[in-house]
Amino acid sequence: MSQEENNLIVFKDVTKVFGPLTALDKVSFEVKNGEFVFITGPSGAGKTTILKLILGELIPDSGGVVVDGSDVAKLTEKDLPSYRQKIGTVFQDFKVLSERTVFENTAVALAVIGLPESEWDLRVQHVLKLVGLSRNSDHFPSQLSGGELQRVSLARALVVNPKIILADEPTGNLDWETSDNLMQLFEKINKEGKTIIMATHNMEIVKKYKKRIINIVGGKINK
Amino acid sequence: MNIHFKTAWGYIRRSPFQALAVSFVLTLTFFVATLVSTLVYSSSKLINYFETRPQVIAFLKSDAQDSDIADLQHKLEDNPHIKDVKYVSKEEALSIYKNATSDNPLLGQLVDPSIFPASLEFSVTDLSFAQNIIDQVKTENIVDSVGFTAALGGESSLNSVIQRLKTITTYVRIGGAVFVGLLAVTSLVVLLVITSMRVVGRREEVDILNLIGATKGFIRSPIVIEAFIYTIFGVVLGWAIAFIAVLYSAPTIVSYFGEIPILPKDVLGILELFGVILAIELFVGAALALSGSLLAVSRVKKVR
Repeated sequence: MSQEENNLIVFKDVTKVFGPLTALDKVSFEVKNGEFVFITGPSGAGKTTILKLILGELIPDSGGVVVDGSDVAKLTEKDLPSYRQKIGTVFQDFKVLSERTVFENTAVALAVIGLPESEWDLRVQHVLKLVGLSRNSDHFPSQLSGGELQRVSLARALVVNPKIILADEPTGNLDWETSDNLMQLFEKINKEGKTIIMATHNMEIVKKYKKRIINIVGGKINK
Repeated sequence: MNIHFKTAWGYIRRSPFQALAVSFVLTLTFFVATLVSTLVYSSSKLINYFETRPQVIAFLKSDAQDSDIADLQHKLEDNPHIKDVKYVSKEEALSIYKNATSDNPLLGQLVDPSIFPASLEFSVTDLSFAQNIIDQVKTENIVDSVGFTAALGGESSLNSVIQRLKTITTYVRIGGAVFVGLLAVTSLVVLLVITSMRVVGRREEVDILNLIGATKGFIRSPIVIEAFIYTIFGVVLGWAIAFIAVLYSAPTIVSYFGEIPILPKDVLGILELFGVILAIELFVGAALALSGSLLAVSRVKKVR
C-alpha cells in the first residue's frame, strides 16, 4: 500500500473564514490509518474547526478535506448521516442525552446505524466493560461523575466500531487523575487500530503520551 | 418496544399537561365531526325519504278499461325518470280510506267504492322531472286528474317541502363543515405549538443525534409518532363519545321520526355507518398529525 493510500485524513490548503476571522489559513496535513494525533494550540487557534471540518459540520471555503476517500465539501445532506456513522465523536461537554440511561445513551448510536435491537445488548455490554461502566449501565447522567460521563461519550463513540475517533478537549472538564485514566483508555483503543484525532490544550497530557502533534496557532500550523 | 415509540411515549409522560391539552382539543374536534357527519347522513336520508315517496297520483276516469290502464302502467314503467309505479284499484282506495278513518268507522260505512277513483301512483327519480311528467300524464285519455301526495308544514306541494328541507340541509352541511373546519384548524395549530415546543426542547438531543449520524427520518420519527398518538387518541375518544351519545338518543330520535329512516334501524347498519366515519376520521387525523409534526420539525433545519 502506498503512503498516499494509507492516508485516512487529508487536509490540503484548507481555509475557513468566519466573517472577519480567519479560523484556518491554508492548512495542510495528513493523518494515517491507525495514527493517534494531538491537535494542540491556544483557545481560538482553530482546533475545533479542524474537527468540525472532519465531521462535516463545516465545509472549507477553499482547499479540500478528504476523509476515508470522501471529499467532505462534496457530501450532500443525504450523504452526511452515513458519513458521520464512520466517525465516533467525544466532546468536552460530553453531549450525553440527559433523560436516557448509560445503556440507552450507548445503544442510541446502534439504533442510528440501524442495527437490530436484538444485537444491542451484547455490543453495549462489551463496550461498557471496555470503558469501565458495566455497573453503571442503568444509571442516568445526573448520577454520574464528569469522568464517567466522558466514558459514556466514549462508549457511544466506540460501540459502532468507527474507523476514526474525534475527541474535542475530552479532558477539559476532568481532574488530572481522571484525565489520565481516560487517556489510557484512548491509548488502548488506538492500539486496537482506531485512528484518534484529539484536540487539546492540556500540555501535561500531550507530554506524557508522546504522540504526533499538529500545533495550530492563529489558524496556521506551527512547524 | 420500538425505540422511536418508546422515545415518543417518554415525551408524553414527561409533559402530561401538554399532552392532555392537545388530546382534548383533538377529542372535541372529532366529537363534533362525528356528530356533524351523523347529522349530514340523517339529513340526506330525510331528503331521500321524501324524494322517493309516491309523489304523483294519476286519478283514472271511472270508465277506464283495464287494458288501457295496463298500457299506461307499462308506459310509465318504461320511463327512466319514473319509478315504483303502482296501480291502486277502487276497492284498494276504499280500504286505504277505511284504514285512515278507522277511529271513526261510521265514515267508512257511509261511502261506496264507486266514489273512489282507481289511480296509478308513482315516484320520480328527481323532482326536477316532476312537472314535465305530470303535464305528460295529464294528456292521457284515461287520466282524470293528477296530483301530489303529502303536503307538509302548510306547504302547498311536496316540491316546496323538499326545497325547504334541502335549504335547511345545505345550511346544516355548510355550518357543520365550517365549524368542524375551524376546530380542525385549531387542532392543527395546537398540535403545531406542542410539537414545536417539543422540537425546541429537544434541540440539544437533535444536535447530538445529527453529530452521531442520525438521519432526518430517525430524528423526526419520535415527534411524528407522538403527534400520531395524540390524534389517534383524539379520534377514537371523540368518535366513541359521539357514538355512545347517538346510541343513547337513538330510540328517542327513531320514534320521533317514525318511518323516516334517519338512522340505520339494525345494529349492523349503525356499525357500518360509524365504522365509515371512524375510518375517514382516522385518515384525516393521520393527515393532521403528519402535516402538524413535519411542519414543526421543518422549522429547525440545520444549515452547514
